[in-house]
Amino acid sequence: MQAELGKPSPFQPDKGKVSIYVDCSPTAAPVFEGRGGDELSAELSTALQRCLLGGKSGTGAGIDLSSLSIVEGKICWDLYIDGLVVSSDGNLLDALGAAIKAALSNTGIPKVQVAASAPSDGQPEVDISDEEFLQFDTSGVPVIVTLTKVGRHYIVDATSEEESQMSSAISVSVNRQGRICGLTKRGGAGLDPSVILDMVSVTKHVSEQLMNKLDSEISAAEACEEES
Amino acid sequence: MEFVSPEGFRLDGRRPMEMRQIRAEIGAVANADGSAVFEMGNTKVIAAVYGPREVQNRSQQINDQALVRCEYSMANFSTGDRMRKPKGDRRSTEISMVIRQTMEACIMTNLMPRSQIDIFVQVLQADGGTRSACINAATLALADAGIPMRDLVTSCSAGYLNSTPLLDLNYVEDSAGGPDVTVGILPKLDKVTLLQMDARLPIDMFENVMQLAIEGCKAVANYIREVLQENTKQLECRRGT
Repeated sequence: MQAELGKPSPFQPDKGKVSIYVDCSPTAAPVFEGRGGDELSAELSTALQRCLLGGKSGTGAGIDLSSLSIVEGKICWDLYIDGLVVSSDGNLLDALGAAIKAALSNTGIPKVQVAASAPSDGQPEVDISDEEFLQFDTSGVPVIVTLTKVGRHYIVDATSEEESQMSSAISVSVNRQGRICGLTKRGGAGLDPSVILDMVSVTKHVSEQLMNKLDSEISAAEACEEES
Repeated sequence: MEFVSPEGFRLDGRRPMEMRQIRAEIGAVANADGSAVFEMGNTKVIAAVYGPREVQNRSQQINDQALVRCEYSMANFSTGDRMRKPKGDRRSTEISMVIRQTMEACIMTNLMPRSQIDIFVQVLQADGGTRSACINAATLALADAGIPMRDLVTSCSAGYLNSTPLLDLNYVEDSAGGPDVTVGILPKLDKVTLLQMDARLPIDMFENVMQLAIEGCKAVANYIREVLQENTKQLECRRGT
């Protein structure tokens, strides 16, 4: 996570900006050498953006974009989320989603003081606090569950061996309320619409378990950090 | 700017001849043939080795020795201010070449003709001395992969600021404009395989600075040897012999 001060887009003056970049390191597999990982990186980045950032209008985003705004239309935080695949054994999207959620709960955004006597047309002066940090609220951040269809069955958390045999896969991001925040289908083979609905209801069930597990892992890690 | 205080401490509280804390871990990437994480203070790199295996590009095949390849890449988040550089810029190409040449010098390539060894290093955090950290990580990863080597190459850097030779420069000291001498040695054979320096340095001081860097390399070599022995003991324990 890296945060920078920037200018909000003219279409959404009251919201900050978040960008997600994923990079596949050649350490994960020799095929990612040189430009070999670019295609997969782009696919994962867009899938994550779709699952976590909501639509173009910014509504339905898992990350609360309006909390990144400082002065409407003038200054906001640009949040950069970088993912790096160092080692891979399948199900990268789910792992990246979980990693982003964990990293967001560890992120502190400095408090910003805006000078009151700002000229109305120019850039207002800001003062970034070194001590006070705003903790990110991650309760709304969804988790991503991918169901991979192998043969006649579909499975969660596929290894790369299983993924090599997949016909198609559906990634669904589900938030705490059990609502679907984003959906991506990968793979070429067609799916029966009724099967898709069935798969979505399965992801809802799985995501509950994953969410609880992830939350307890995050709070355990936080407790561990506080101790040291 | 003052890089060594009158009391003899550096900006991060080290003595001039003190190294940063080093930490190494073997086997971080499960499906690579060999892998290692190496940390020098805040610098953190991960190396993975694939091979020896069949040569991918037939035209590159060498009939009497193994082909060694290396790729160095930096994560977007590895430096303080965010940079988004395309892969394969000149700096990383140069470092890839330096690492490749250094590692090629110690791998017994003649034992594995018509095969290919890939070394991938990825910088996770950069705080000066990435070159050295990458070489140390690559050595560990090669040893983990069980590739025959003449010796364990280790590397360390040293500099010269405020008329004091300094061991293992961090990012602030590295960008201060003073010389940065990176040395790589084969500790058992007592040979220097890598030597790079930028900026200028009085010729009578050069020997001292280089000697300091060599001492650093030897310390790293001792640590790497310990880590490898510990790892071998654990493997033996798991085999239950």
